[in-house]
Amino acid sequence: MRILVVEDEATLREMLKLRFGEAGFTVDVARDGDEGLFAALEYPLDVAIVDLGLPGVPGMELIRRVRAAAKTYPILILTARDNWQEKVEGLQAGADDYVAKPFQFEEVLARVQALLRRAGGWASPQLKCGPVVLDTRAQTVAVRGAPVELTTFEYRILEHLMLRAGEVISKGELTERLYDQDFERDSNVIEVLIGRLRRKLDPEDALQPIETLRGRGYRFSLPRDAGP
Amino acid sequence: MHSLSRRLLISVALPLVLFSAITMLVLDRGFRTLSERSLQELLDAEMVALIAAADPLPGGGYAPAAQALEPRLETPQSGVYAQIRSRAHAWRSPSTAGVTGDFGPPLRHGERSLTYADFDHERVAIESRAIQFEEGAAESGTYTFSVAVSLAPYEQQLWQFRRQLLGWFSGLLLALLVTLAALLRWVLAPLRRMEREIHAVEEGRSDTLGAGYPRELAGVAGNLNALLTGERKRVGRYRDTLGNLAHSLKTPLAVMRASLPADASAVTLGGEIDRMKGIIEHQLKRAAATGGALLGAAPVEVAQVAAELRGALLKVYADKDLALELAIAPGSAFIGDRGDLLEMLGNLLDNACKWCRSRVRLTASADPQAPARQRLLLTVEDDGPGIDAGDRDRVLGRGVRADENVPGHGIGLAMVRDTIELYGGALAIEASGLGGARFSVQLPGR
Repeated sequence: MRILVVEDEATLREMLKLRFGEAGFTVDVARDGDEGLFAALEYPLDVAIVDLGLPGVPGMELIRRVRAAAKTYPILILTARDNWQEKVEGLQAGADDYVAKPFQFEEVLARVQALLRRAGGWASPQLKCGPVVLDTRAQTVAVRGAPVELTTFEYRILEHLMLRAGEVISKGELTERLYDQDFERDSNVIEVLIGRLRRKLDPEDALQPIETLRGRGYRFSLPRDAGP
Repeated sequence: MHSLSRRLLISVALPLVLFSAITMLVLDRGFRTLSERSLQELLDAEMVALIAAADPLPGGGYAPAAQALEPRLETPQSGVYAQIRSRAHAWRSPSTAGVTGDFGPPLRHGERSLTYADFDHERVAIESRAIQFEEGAAESGTYTFSVAVSLAPYEQQLWQFRRQLLGWFSGLLLALLVTLAALLRWVLAPLRRMEREIHAVEEGRSDTLGAGYPRELAGVAGNLNALLTGERKRVGRYRDTLGNLAHSLKTPLAVMRASLPADASAVTLGGEIDRMKGIIEHQLKRAAATGGALLGAAPVEVAQVAAELRGALLKVYADKDLALELAIAPGSAFIGDRGDLLEMLGNLLDNACKWCRSRVRLTASADPQAPARQRLLLTVEDDGPGIDAGDRDRVLGRGVRADENVPGHGIGLAMVRDTIELYGGALAIEASGLGGARFSVQLPGR
């Protein structure tokens, strides 16, 4: 998952970068509204965190411009004022949720994960597709109740595919969301990782959870279970 | 004496009445002097005529010759009477027929008198003179001539005059007062207009006083307008400052929170940071609540604020499959600051959304019978677990300092309570028909 953090306070920004990195995200950061707006419009993001009290382009304006550019990824606002006027304005501008400062990182992470889940059409933090269950909070995967050990990269790919289960996701998109902007990309890595995932999830080759659509990308093809 | 026009009316009417009374007294005195003088002249004339007409009688004594008598002395009870009297003789005019009356004691030579007496029931003035027709005559040769004239016509005239005087003066006074009242109305009309316009500003129907006041009031109206605008700007600036203060205090707190290591040693510090956050939040928000109708602020449509909050909360609680019903009576409006209403409703609705299973309902209606500061009735209810009767005071934080509450739990409600108190409204927690808690709020509005 690729996340953008737009926050002018350096310590907070670095903390969010570090902690989201630890939580398995690819993190882009921006120091002010102008940098933030550029990143928000140009990078292939899954979610953004925007502080409302920004130098340069104000946070509210940034959100409006992102929505005007038809970007639909979820946006979480950070507000220090914590009044309803600002919350309502932010949500009307196109944000999806808010967290008041000072916050605990766990709360921000939980909100971001919930937003991602909702954006993928999932109601609960447990993504269930037939026998495959992925818990976004615990970052664990189980098949038919038996836990499956995955590496960080493997987990990230599976989470991405399962959040948007049923959709076709291109190899390029997966690469972009797994690596930082200036990382030397090698699309073979994705093929290798998908191959390993298939073996770990479906050793008997009975489920065939991940389809390959030649020239277009991959699709998690097991049907989603209805919500709890 | 709380009305300017009443003060003016009384202060003008009192001297006016006093003045009229004195004038009437003076006129009355003048008239009486005049009529007394004419009475005197009449008496003198009658006396001279009587003396001139008096002839000695063969048997002694004097009497006017019958043909020389004035007609009024001949007509009985005509109101003019005469008597000529000495020790031995007495003559009375024919007009005294049927009238009993005493002309007074005889006088000595050279004496004169003017007395008043009652002839039967007729008040008369009597002039008497003592005359000796022969030089050096004895007392027996002294004749007392008396003429009596009835006062009735004069008194009648006097009373008629007084009645007329009173009539004219009352009429004049009434006309003056009516004119004065009309003038006052006209003169004070701009003041009444100002009062009306200030009232309109108070109720939020207008935001400043109009133009076109007379010169003496134009300054006051201008200053009031400047004050209103200044006050609105000041409140806005004040809020911005508080918001900035909150921002600049909370960001370092966020940094501190973020820098805590994720182990047990950080628990105390984390708690303290949360407490500081709570204090900042509560105190700054309380300071920012205007509490009271901001002069000239338009009434806030509840429907609009509710719709905005509904949109926001449906987004925030998207996971919950929330049914947020609004039942807002058309025209329901809050007289006060929009930000305050947004905070109060936002906190109450957020709270309801947090605790509900799936239903939250907001109603708004007006109660014209309620006291002025409690006319707008808002209720927020949910289908959550509700609040036990014993816990309701504690939930509202009564008797508990809000910054001692657990953050995120009580601050919102304590804030709502404080703001409602500032507005002179009322807040109560009841059981809702939906199954959970119902918060009913009464605020100034319509």
